Amino acid sequence: MCSACGFPAAPGHWTEAGAADAPDRLRARFRRAQVLQSVLAAYGLTAHDGAQVPGIQISTLSGDHTMARDLAEVWVTAERLAGRAVDPLDPRFTGGGKEEN
Amino acid sequence: MTGKSDGRMRLTVLGGFLGSGKTTWLRHQLHRGLFKDAFVVVNEAAETPVDDALLGAASRLAVLAGGCVCCDGKADLIALLRKICDNRSGFDSRGPRLEGIVLETSGLADPGPIVEAIRGDPVLAHHIVVGKIAVAVDALHALSQLRSEPLGRRQIETADRLIVTKVDEADGPALKRLLAALRLINPGAELIGAVKGSEAALPPFDSVEPEVLPDLSGDAGRPPLFPARLAIDETIDWTAFSVWLSALLHARGDDVVRVKGVVRTPAGRLLVQSVRKIVQPPEILPEQTGGPDREDNTIIVIGRGYRAEDLRRSLHHFAGARRV
Repeated sequence: MCSACGFPAAPGHWTEAGAADAPDRLRARFRRAQVLQSVLAAYGLTAHDGAQVPGIQISTLSGDHTMARDLAEVWVTAERLAGRAVDPLDPRFTGGGKEEN
Repeated sequence: MTGKSDGRMRLTVLGGFLGSGKTTWLRHQLHRGLFKDAFVVVNEAAETPVDDALLGAASRLAVLAGGCVCCDGKADLIALLRKICDNRSGFDSRGPRLEGIVLETSGLADPGPIVEAIRGDPVLAHHIVVGKIAVAVDALHALSQLRSEPLGRRQIETADRLIVTKVDEADGPALKRLLAALRLINPGAELIGAVKGSEAALPPFDSVEPEVLPDLSGDAGRPPLFPARLAIDETIDWTAFSVWLSALLHARGDDVVRVKGVVRTPAGRLLVQSVRKIVQPPEILPEQTGGPDREDNTIIVIGRGYRAEDLRRSLHHFAGARRV
């Protein structure tokens, strides 16, 4: 490890780097599922993370479901289950207006 | 690095495509004590500088942000270099005498016009001798850049030294094809390998066929890459931001060439950087003790094929819902 550069960095997917400690990580997982739920609803999908097992469960309204390991995998899975591209610059992604509680 | 032969300062130009590892390399050289008595000039095309936060080991540092010095920021660069020369010649220079200048260009810069401008300036010509042009080449992405970006090729063509970065992560046969292609594009350049700034061995590639690269001469009609600066609203937490950015890179990873910025999180100030679809593990930066001169919660997205306001609107959708 180079003391100037600070490598190696924290392990895990890059999106999980924002949590300071274990309770924070747990809160971040629930929050992630909540944000995903608000986005994926417009694609006819639901996101669930019970924090019991690693990963996020993405389901269709007809009950088909797949576990995604991290956010990168979530988008690949969501596109496959929804049968359409998921793009943040597409109005559908933000079509629901402000996310709701 | 001495430049002592005729008293002129030696200018080292460090170029390379967006995210190719220029700052990482320079940071490590500074840590090793190289360029100790040099003035480091960092140019960033975007208005918000990020790289200078990483170069704390430089004794003297200036940032030229908000314009690429090979085109619209050229006058600023010449003015800065003249000032550096003035200070060195005058009585107001403090500390050890300046022996050189290192210019880290923006990832969108072609080093050629920069060197021409410095050589052609009547004042600078007497103070500065242009030394090596080092160009960082990303072992993971250079092949795709060389296939599609004329700028990536021009940067390599102008180099005296090619620093092939991230060689530990590259696929062996692809790396060899890249090295053979580099040798073909610029046969005169010295080729060295690097991992996180430290020198690393390159595999032998003498008998390898170089990657066949398409003719890009008719590619001038492609929209240019542009930097967009996005302020992250304080009500957007890291989770919402990372959901959004991961989706953006998934959908637009071929258009979004580079993302970098500093985001505040419960874990601290996170430096976020991506090159195409690959995001580096975020690094935690120290808290700032000085004034509020740096813009946290701002990211720069460099790419093409979309409008900056669409990015802003999309990100802003997540504002107003902070819960963590």
